[in-house]
Amino acid sequence: MRWLGLSLLGPLLWALLFVAVYGAHGMACAGVTGPEGLGTGARLTMVGLWLAGLLAHGALLLALPHGAGLQRFLPRAGAWIGLGASAVTLFPVVLVTSC
Amino acid sequence: MKRFAAYPLLVAGCSGPLSTLEPGGPAAADIAWLWWGMLAGAAVITVFMVGLVLLALGAPRPVREGRWTLGLGLGLSMVILTPVLAAGLWVGERIIPRDDGVVTVEAHAWQWNWRFTHADAEGAPVESENTLHIPAGQPVDVLITSEDVIHSFWVPRLAGKLDAIPGRTNRARIMADEPGRYAGLCAEFCGQGHARMRFDVVAHADWPPVLNGDGTEAK
Amino acid sequence: MTDAPVTSAPADAASDIPRNPPQRSLTLHRALARVWANDRGLWGQITAVSHTTLGLRFMATALVFFAIGGILSMLIRAQLATPQGAFLDTELYNQIFTMHGSIMMFLFAIPMLEGLGIWLLPKMLGTRDMAFPRLTALGYWCYLFGGLIMLSALLFGVAPRDGWFMYTPLSDATHSPGINADVWLLGVTFVEISAIAAAVEITVTILRQRAPGMKLTAMPLFGWYMLGTSVMMLVGFPPLIAGSVLLEIERAFDWPFFDPARGGDPLLWQHLFWLFGHPEVYIIFLPAAGVMSMMIPILSRTTILGYGAIVAAVLGLVFLSFGLWVHHMFTVGIPHMALAFFSAASVLVAVPTAVQVFAWIGTMWKGRPQLVLPMYHILGFFLTFVMGGLTGVMLAIVPFNWQAHDTAFVTAHLHYVLIGGFVFPMMAAATYWMPLITGKRRIDGLGEAAFWVILIGFHGTFFIMHLTGLLGMPRRIDVYPDNPEWIWLNLTSSIFGFVLTIGFAMFALDLILQATLGKRAARDPWEAPTLDWAMPVPAPNYNFASLPLPEQAACGAAQAALTLARGEGVLPGAPRGRREVLVSTVSGARPLHVAVLPGNTALPLALSASIGGFVLLMLAGLYALAGAALVPVAVLIWVWARGMAPSGDMAQVQAAPGLRLPVHFRAGVTLGQSGLVAFLVANGTLFASLLFGLAFLEVVTPGPAAPSASVEHLTMGWAMGFVVATAGLGVLAARASGSGAALAGLLVNLLALAGVLWIGAQLDDPTRHARDALRAVVAGYVGLHLLVAAGMAGFVLDQLRRGEITPDTPGAAPAWRLWQEFTAVTTLITALVILVQAGVV
Repeated sequence: MRWLGLSLLGPLLWALLFVAVYGAHGMACAGVTGPEGLGTGARLTMVGLWLAGLLAHGALLLALPHGAGLQRFLPRAGAWIGLGASAVTLFPVVLVTSC
Repeated sequence: MKRFAAYPLLVAGCSGPLSTLEPGGPAAADIAWLWWGMLAGAAVITVFMVGLVLLALGAPRPVREGRWTLGLGLGLSMVILTPVLAAGLWVGERIIPRDDGVVTVEAHAWQWNWRFTHADAEGAPVESENTLHIPAGQPVDVLITSEDVIHSFWVPRLAGKLDAIPGRTNRARIMADEPGRYAGLCAEFCGQGHARMRFDVVAHADWPPVLNGDGTEAK
Repeated sequence: MTDAPVTSAPADAASDIPRNPPQRSLTLHRALARVWANDRGLWGQITAVSHTTLGLRFMATALVFFAIGGILSMLIRAQLATPQGAFLDTELYNQIFTMHGSIMMFLFAIPMLEGLGIWLLPKMLGTRDMAFPRLTALGYWCYLFGGLIMLSALLFGVAPRDGWFMYTPLSDATHSPGINADVWLLGVTFVEISAIAAAVEITVTILRQRAPGMKLTAMPLFGWYMLGTSVMMLVGFPPLIAGSVLLEIERAFDWPFFDPARGGDPLLWQHLFWLFGHPEVYIIFLPAAGVMSMMIPILSRTTILGYGAIVAAVLGLVFLSFGLWVHHMFTVGIPHMALAFFSAASVLVAVPTAVQVFAWIGTMWKGRPQLVLPMYHILGFFLTFVMGGLTGVMLAIVPFNWQAHDTAFVTAHLHYVLIGGFVFPMMAAATYWMPLITGKRRIDGLGEAAFWVILIGFHGTFFIMHLTGLLGMPRRIDVYPDNPEWIWLNLTSSIFGFVLTIGFAMFALDLILQATLGKRAARDPWEAPTLDWAMPVPAPNYNFASLPLPEQAACGAAQAALTLARGEGVLPGAPRGRREVLVSTVSGARPLHVAVLPGNTALPLALSASIGGFVLLMLAGLYALAGAALVPVAVLIWVWARGMAPSGDMAQVQAAPGLRLPVHFRAGVTLGQSGLVAFLVANGTLFASLLFGLAFLEVVTPGPAAPSASVEHLTMGWAMGFVVATAGLGVLAARASGSGAALAGLLVNLLALAGVLWIGAQLDDPTRHARDALRAVVAGYVGLHLLVAAGMAGFVLDQLRRGEITPDTPGAAPAWRLWQEFTAVTTLITALVILVQAGVV
């Protein structure tokens, strides 16, 4: 039962990070948190969130035990899925130039 | 009927007044290249996959799990998908509108017509129905609004579509390389008259164009 | 859902449970058949709650709707065969394409996969029925009645006509007068009751009813796929339900959630719709992928390659598919960076899909695929689905999407994905499991011919449609007089479309011939190792005379069938004359207790009919009467709950030598409580959808600032504090025991409800501004939950009075506690959100 919950951690972390960065971007582009558009502050916030999220993913991977069997494999697979998803879906924060 | 008769043999080609594959401007051209590239890749992948399946229809073979799930499933797909994604974002960055003071015109949609507005030589607004006038050879931003329901502004030979949404103003960037007439239509289903909600974009070599009072072109 | 040890159950896994002594199979069969049989005749069809009966009925009804949707598609193709298309007028054409999409999505695909899961899961996992048989029946009736409402609208010419995703403002009261849009909103929401019901019981059945010792880590992959599907349904459907309720309220009462003139936003509808709509695609695909993962190894005479990788891929798909909904909205004017996030997610979702596809192909390499009819359809799946997946990646690329969006290219893509990814696997599954359904063998030849006709018809119709789209043909147009370049493409599509339909008709005929004229099938015709074939053909209502132990399941279906029929497994026969299933731990499937399931009853029909009455009154615009129609609904729900009260023989049950198990009335966490948790997940998602709406209107929606609101007054803050405090007191009462606590719970909930009503009366006119309207809805949500909490407290009080709640039998008390806690938390969150938004806190 516990291993099933652990397997959800990585993807849940991705979901949380995705919502946070998407939300930060939405507020920046709507001008809620400052002048409308991707100012330096907004950009730094998003990149900071992203990097912090990636670190958290890494920490999760380090914390999960290795071992054989699905009970050990699935939590680690989930952690990798989360890390990969966060890395790929949010990398536009450093590339895309404007709202 | 004259055009009708001319077409049967042409369908093998990809031309047409609304064809995304006969681009008349840089945005549509970039996207068309993206398409041809993806099509070629997709064709190769389809053949590869079908081949793999057909090869499976024989005697059992020793297989290594990691090769299939990690190697092909994860590795190969990432190798293919990453450049496609990068190309898409790169093209997107090239063609989105930016704050660079280009000529701006307005497109206002309602069930089931378009009203377009551009500025004349004195800067006064000139309105025209179902014909949008733009300068040729330079980028133009279209401010898209709607009166009632959601419509979508689409000139396939110039650029991708952008929705006209009540309560919002959307900015699309189009550009026609050559003077001429480009067909456009409403792409988002908008009720009874949707199929007939067409318009034309006329790209002029001389800008602003000389028009009659009702927005039609002066002879 | 606990793994805590229970008295008298063995401490370790189920592997050391001894077998029961063999009995005469026929005696066992007769006893079981008597207990599990449906009532006789037509009445038996009305009162049936058996998963075998209802699963088949779900699938058969879905097939009928598939045929109707198919006929509608033929009308569309006939209209588009020529540019002038004088065949249908525009109004009718719009109704037809809207109904084609709505029927195929909501009345075919979703019910089909629900039916498949309901019919197959208990057989494959080694139990006798789903966790909540009455809920299965309720779901079926809601589906049938909702579907019939939508169909009759089509017959009367007032069907929905705004496209199957019902974009507002086109679907609002101004631009779509008449009841057409209401039919969609109310009808689909009615049908979705069955989706939530199925999701709840599929989740609970998979997690808690697997055969003793069938570890989660070793269950058939179909179980993992359906677990993923059902969890996605719990989280995916609530946004659609929230959106539909809001849009219906806007149409009925002029509350402007989506009206830009009054602070609303048409894009809020699109977000809510596609928050459901994209996961929906994977909700449809996962069960199909699940049956592929079962059939491919069995028909290739081998075992699946990469079990763990496939489970991980399912996990990835379940989550990732909730991060791509915006790719249906690439052209609405969202900033490029947001598009990039969703584009990347949409591309990335291809990876877990690829992992599965390669695992399947690798499995075929590993084994020796047999070219039997199900394998034909599996090959058809590979060809079609791979192509659909590739065009899916193309559409995930933002600039290309800007061109292809809303054109025939998308129509082609989605048919490649849905027919390739769902219909071909379902045809494979149908031909594979028909012997178990009917007990008959197939008649050779027709099925193979049908496959080829379908394959040719399909690709002939849809392959060139990609080009049609790239040549600029938009979706949903009925004429194209100015575009001769599309004529030959469309005519070709239309001709092959009819070929495709003929193919489907041949397929249906093949099934009918097999069911009526086929010779008797042998047991386990595919020599499968799985439990679904470890039973007689056709499958009896109770599935297993005794529930399989790991060592029995391990020796192949044919061998297991014999020992199970002799009652050598766990919980043999029906010696106590009631429907019993085994409930076990989530991970290890260690038996915990015996659940006594309800028998045949017409209550599900009555409840869904009373909900149907409410829907019809809403459709008729008789809102006051519709409100009154909720009274019988509430009464019937009370009667329903009474049916769960502790009763009958409470003695421990001898399930196997040395294994004595309590009945569920005296057990720890019952199936019902697990089901409530699953339901609260869906309910919480609904609540979150409403909060998302509040945030979206506040942050993203353009337009003038909202007017000042009454909640900014301090008294409102105090009133909200009062409601939160009383709801919290309700939690204390629900956690205590005894009549006094229950009475106190009833009273504080009523007090809190009075507080909500007072606040509601002070709130600003909800027709004034979208924010005010949404606040009123959230207040209504809280009020409804307090009302239900009061009802549950009253129910517990009643049970105490009847003496049904004792220290050994908790009755409905745990359910009330869960609900009360959920209500208190949502009340607190609501108060905080509103006060923060109003700037009071």
